[in-house]
Amino acid sequence: MKFLSNVQTTHKVFAALVLAVLYALPIFITSPVMLQIFILIFLYAYLTSSWNFVGGFAGVLPLGHSAFVGLGAYTSTLLYLTYNISPWIGMIAGGIVAAAFGLLIGLPTLKLRGAYFALATIAFAEGLRVLVENVEKLGPFEVRGPKGLLINLVGNSFKDFQFLSKVPYYYIILTMLVLVLILTFFMMRSKVGYYLAAGGEEPEAAEALGIKVSKYKLIAMAISCFLTALGGTFYAQLVLYFYPKSIMGLDMSYEIAFIALIGGRSTIMGPVLGAFLLRPVGELTRIYLGDTLPGLHLIIFGLVLIIVMRYQPRGLVEPVSRWLNILFDRIEKRRRA
Amino acid sequence: MIGYIESVINGILMGSIYGLTAVGLTLIFGVMKVVNFAHGSILMVGMFAAYWFITLTGFNPYLALVVVVPLLYFFGYYMQKIIIKPIFEAEKHVREPITVIIVTTGIWYVLDNLALLVFGAEFRVAQTSVTGKMVEVAEMYFPLAKMIGAGITLLLGIYLYWFLKHSRMGKAVRATSLDREAATLMGIKQSRIYNIVFGMGCACCGVAACVLVPFYYVYPTVGVPFDIKAFVIVVLGGLGSVPGAILGGIIIGIIETVGAQFMAATWTEMLIYAFFLVVLFVKPSGLFGLRQDY
Amino acid sequence: MALLEVKGVTKQFGGLTAVNSVDMEVQEGQIVGIIGPNGAGKTTLFSCIAGSHVPTKGSIKFNGTEIAGKKPYDICKLGVTRTFQVVKPFANKTVLYNTTVGAFAKTNRLDVAEEKAMEVLKLIDLYDKKDILAKNLTLPERKRLELARALATEPKLLLLDEVMAGLRPSEVAEMLPVIRKINSVGVSIIIVEHIMQAIMNLSEKVYVINFGKKIAEGDPHKVVADEEVIKAYLGDEYVANSH
Repeated sequence: MKFLSNVQTTHKVFAALVLAVLYALPIFITSPVMLQIFILIFLYAYLTSSWNFVGGFAGVLPLGHSAFVGLGAYTSTLLYLTYNISPWIGMIAGGIVAAAFGLLIGLPTLKLRGAYFALATIAFAEGLRVLVENVEKLGPFEVRGPKGLLINLVGNSFKDFQFLSKVPYYYIILTMLVLVLILTFFMMRSKVGYYLAAGGEEPEAAEALGIKVSKYKLIAMAISCFLTALGGTFYAQLVLYFYPKSIMGLDMSYEIAFIALIGGRSTIMGPVLGAFLLRPVGELTRIYLGDTLPGLHLIIFGLVLIIVMRYQPRGLVEPVSRWLNILFDRIEKRRRA
Repeated sequence: MIGYIESVINGILMGSIYGLTAVGLTLIFGVMKVVNFAHGSILMVGMFAAYWFITLTGFNPYLALVVVVPLLYFFGYYMQKIIIKPIFEAEKHVREPITVIIVTTGIWYVLDNLALLVFGAEFRVAQTSVTGKMVEVAEMYFPLAKMIGAGITLLLGIYLYWFLKHSRMGKAVRATSLDREAATLMGIKQSRIYNIVFGMGCACCGVAACVLVPFYYVYPTVGVPFDIKAFVIVVLGGLGSVPGAILGGIIIGIIETVGAQFMAATWTEMLIYAFFLVVLFVKPSGLFGLRQDY
Repeated sequence: MALLEVKGVTKQFGGLTAVNSVDMEVQEGQIVGIIGPNGAGKTTLFSCIAGSHVPTKGSIKFNGTEIAGKKPYDICKLGVTRTFQVVKPFANKTVLYNTTVGAFAKTNRLDVAEEKAMEVLKLIDLYDKKDILAKNLTLPERKRLELARALATEPKLLLLDEVMAGLRPSEVAEMLPVIRKINSVGVSIIIVEHIMQAIMNLSEKVYVINFGKKIAEGDPHKVVADEEVIKAYLGDEYVANSH
C-alpha cells in the first residue's frame, strides 16, 4: 500500500477504528428509527460526496442535484416495474442516464461564469420536476405524473433490492459511502484531480499550463451525476414510494450544497462531517418540533450556514482536522515515549 | 384574435413586474458578480410589509410605496453591510464567489421560514380600492392593478436607466462593475457602492411588492416562483443588463399568458425552463447581447 | 528554420489597433526581448503568441505549425508556455502541487509528475519551499514559482511576461541567473520586460515596439543607440528608471 505510506500510523488506526465501529453499529443499535437516521446520514454524506466532484473539486456550484437523484430513482424503478429488471442493473442504467443529462447541461454552461452554471442547474432540476409531474405515460413506462411510483413489496430479496429489516440498507449505503470516499481519495491524487483543482482556482493560469479546463469540468460533472443517480436508486428502494416533489425537489439540492459547504467542500471528509452535523438537526427538530414550529430546522440550517461561512469559509473540516491532528500528535508522542 | 391580443397585453403587464424583480437581481450581479438567491425572499418581505401597511391603515395601496421602498432599501443596505460584506471580502479575488452565493441561499432559508413561523402558511389577500377592478379597452379587459403596476415599473425602469447613465453615483456604480480595482484607484469606495447597489436591488423588490399586493396572494414562500423566474429573466436579458432584464421579463410574461391559451399552466412553466436552456445553449450572452460578462 | 516565426500579426480591439503588422523571429536556444513603453502593445503581441488573444491578421508559426488562433492549452501542448505578469498561483496549494500541475502536461502519472516537479524546483532554487502554500510565499518566490510551473510543462519556448516587475534591484539580480539557467537546459525564451538592465543583460536580440509597431530590432546595445528608439521610448523611460 504505497499510496498510504505518507499517512501517519495514528491516522490509519483511527480511520480503521471508526470504520470498525460503524460496521459493528447495527449489532448494538436495533431500533429501526435510529438505524433510519444513520442510513439517511450516510445517504446524504454519499450524495454530498458525489456532488463534491463537481461542486467541490471543479469549483462551480451545482444547485440542482436532486434532478439526478430523481433520474436514478425513476430510471431503475420504471425498468423494474415495467420489465422486472433488477434495480441493481437499473441503478447502473440510471447512472448512465444521469451522466448523459449532466453532460448536456454542463456542455454549454461549464465554459461560462459559475453563476450561469448554478442557474442552469436549478432551471434544469425544476424543469425536469415539472415535466415529470405532467407525464402520465412515456412509451411503455407508467410515469404517473404527480402521483409518483410505488414499488410492490416482495419481502426479503436481494435481486429485488428489498429488505424487511433496515440492517441490509445500512450496510449497502455505508459501503457505497466508503467506496465513493475511496474514489475521491484516488481522484484527488490523479491528474484529473490536480487539473480540476487548478482549473477551479485559476482557470487562465491552468489553460496556459496545457489544461483544457472545460473538458475536465465535464468529466467531473459526468462522474458526479452518475454517482448521484446511484444514490437515487438506493433512496427509491429504501422508501419504496416516491413522487416528483419528494425526490427531485429543490430542497434536497440545497441541503446537499449546504452540507458540503458547512462540512468543507473539496475535501474528502467534509461531506461526511457536514451530514453528521446537519442531518440529525433536521431529523430531531422535525420529530420533536415539526408540528409546533414548522420550518425551524430550515432556519437552523440557514443560520448555521451563514455563521460557518462567516468564520470558517472553508468549512468545519478544517478546525476539526486541526484538533484531531493535535490529538494524534499527543498520542504519537506518548506511544514513542 | 382579440383574445390573443388581450393575453399578449396581459403578458406584457405581468411580465414588466417580473422584469422589475429581475432588474434588482441584475443590478447586484452586474456590480458584485453575485447571484442573490435571497432576492425572492426580499420580495416576500416587501409584500408582507405592504400587506400589513394597507390592511392596518386602510390607505390607498400605492401609498405603501413610500414606506416599503425605503424600508427594503435599508434592509438590503444593511444585509450587505453586516452579513455579506465580511464573507465577500474573504473571496474578493476569487473568480467565482461561491461562498457568497450560498450565503444568500442561507438568508433565503432563514427569511422564508421565519415568515412561516410568524405568519403561518395561509394565503392572504389585501382588500384595496383597486383589487378586482377591470378596465375595458376596445372590448378587452385588463385588471386595473396590473396596469398601474406596469406603469410604475416603466417609470422606474426609465429612472434607473437615467440614474446609471448620467448621475454621478450611477457612473460610480458602472465603473465598479466594469473594473473593481480601477474604480478603487479612481477613489470610488467599493464597499459603499456594494451597500448602495444591494439596497437599490432590494428597493426594486420593494416597488414590485407594492404593485403586486393589490392583486396577488401573500404567503411565506411567494418569493420562490418569482425568484426562479427572475433567474431565467436575467440570463435571457444578459446578466448585468437593466434594459435586458425588463425585456426578458416581458418575454416571460408573454410566454406565460399566451401559452396558457394552448396548454395547462404547468406546461407553460416547462416551456419557460426549456426556453431558458435553449438560450443558454445558443446565446449565453442573453437575447439582446447587451453585456458580455460571461 | 526559426523556432518561432511571427509574420504580419495585427490585433485590433474595436477601432483600436494594439498590434500593427509585427514580424519577429526566435531561433532555437535564443533569448529574445520585447521592449517598449507602457501600452505599446507588448503584452497584446505576447498574448497572441500564447493563445490568449486571436490575432486579427497574420501568421504565427511554431516549429512550422500554425498556432495563431489556437487555444492556450493546445499551444502549451505543442511546447509554448507562458507566465503571467500578475502571478496567478494556485494559492491554497503547496509549491510542489503547483509545479506538479505543470508537470502533468507530459505524463498521466502522479509519481512521474512529482519527480519532474522536484527536479524543476531544484533547478529554480525553490526546492526547500516545496511544502509551503503558494499564498504564503514572498513576491520574488511567487514569481519563481510561476517560472517553475511553466518550466515543468517542458516547453521548447518559454514566454515570460514581466517576471521581474515589482522586484527590488537585488531580487532582479537573483532572478537573472535563474533565467539563464533555464535557457542553458535548452529552452528558448521570449521576455517582455520593463527593466532595461535585465533585458540588456539577458537578450541576444531585442524587438522595440511603439504604438503597436515594431520600430527597431537587433543587438540590444545597437538598438539602444538607435535614434528612433531613444526618441520614442528611452527618452523618458530610461531616465526615469535609472535614478
